[in-house]
Amino acid sequence: MSSISSNPSPQPGSPLSLIAELTHRCPLHCLYCSNPIEMQRAETELSTADWKRVFQQAAQMGVLHLHLTGGEPLARRDLPELIRAGRDAGLYINMITSGVGLTEERLAALVEAGLEHLQLSFQDIEEMAANHIAGTRAHAIKLALVPVLKKYPLAFTINLVVHRMNLDHLEEFIALAEELGPDRLEIAHVQYYGWALKNRSLLMPTEEQVMRSLPIVEAAKERLKGKIHLEAVFPDYFGSFPKACVGGWGRQMMLIDPAGQALPCHSAAVIPGLTFDNVREHDLEWIWNSSSAFQRFRGDAWMSDTCLSCPRKEKDFGGCRCQAFMLTGDPDAIDPVCSLSPHHGLLMELRVSQPEVLPIWRD
Amino acid sequence: MDLNSTPKLAPGCRLHPTDSILLIPEGTLNLTGPTREILSKLDGNKNVTTVVTELVAQFEGADAKEIESDVLNVLSRLQQRGVVRA
Ligand code: SF4
Ligand code: SF4
Repeated sequence: MSSISSNPSPQPGSPLSLIAELTHRCPLHCLYCSNPIEMQRAETELSTADWKRVFQQAAQMGVLHLHLTGGEPLARRDLPELIRAGRDAGLYINMITSGVGLTEERLAALVEAGLEHLQLSFQDIEEMAANHIAGTRAHAIKLALVPVLKKYPLAFTINLVVHRMNLDHLEEFIALAEELGPDRLEIAHVQYYGWALKNRSLLMPTEEQVMRSLPIVEAAKERLKGKIHLEAVFPDYFGSFPKACVGGWGRQMMLIDPAGQALPCHSAAVIPGLTFDNVREHDLEWIWNSSSAFQRFRGDAWMSDTCLSCPRKEKDFGGCRCQAFMLTGDPDAIDPVCSLSPHHGLLMELRVSQPEVLPIWRD
Repeated sequence: MDLNSTPKLAPGCRLHPTDSILLIPEGTLNLTGPTREILSKLDGNKNVTTVVTELVAQFEGADAKEIESDVLNVLSRLQQRGVVRA
């Protein structure tokens, strides 16, 4: 293969963001949960001191954004202390929450500690429907939280998670969000990893649904310009080429799970044979540069000849490794979303609705 | 956005302490030319005219009219992008 230029092990640049999964404890049981099915228990969680050290190391490496997530980050009693440590290290602090358990008093403490951006996800416009998805009375709690949030100096994003069961309500969904008046509105399709994979046929929208939703999003973007910044991410199932989610494997972000394992991506654990190094034993910089899991899909030595000779490989890096593995059984395969993949037909099958399937709830 | 507006950075947006980037929710904006300088003057009290005056004093020899239109331009664009409020 001498005619094909290969770049087996490039020096990685430094990561830009760190996702800190503070805990897997969570009061909700979402159908679309993308947390690993084997969740870590509270006893194995990193200590306050561990996280502080990790945040300092991250900032020294050039990381700019810290994303605090879970599970539900509010389940950590030391959350204000962690936020302050991140800010002191120089990081931008973002938190993704269900809002359950967030009183005004707690919010004030988080903002005071340095929280800069809060993301609240909504599942549906009607409370009944919302509770069907989230499996708890979270929706009413969130609605009540919004006016409180707006009193504080932080950016506030509403995240609408869309899927087959609610995509037809997108217009009302956006209208509700507009009334609540966030700084940003994100419309994201369910990603089919972790638990959500088990519910994929139930959640995956039909191609017609997605097509109908496109002009609605475009019109809302225009209408809201200068008031609410709207970002919409569409599922790559309907494309002909894959996306480079989170900027490619081991290129821009690092995720630390509640027990301290460092992962190149939130679903990397689905890929067999990867070992994840732990921040209890190594510093972040060593992990970023040398951990075998981060090295695994860097460069292009692992790629098929189709990707190796394709100019798009610098943009999509051969697509999603987790998706490739889950759909083909081979983590080195071309992402089946790519029309050049011999497995692209699988995607065609998945696009077809199977409306009679029943949901699988998480305990 | 006009000369009497009193712009400021939107909540959750701040300048990187040393680099020419604006930290915003979920990402960064690269700031080109004098944009960092302009944004560093916003405090929600000064109006655009004051910001322009300060910049003119700072960049000796620069054309005041040109600075004014650059400032209005940059601020309107960033307002549309949701990271500056007037
Ligand atoms: S062949 Fe590989 S590199 Fe080219 S578009 Fe498809 S997945 Fe991307
Ligand atoms: S492997 Fe897939 S899921 Fe993981 S970061 Fe890459 S694109 Fe996203």
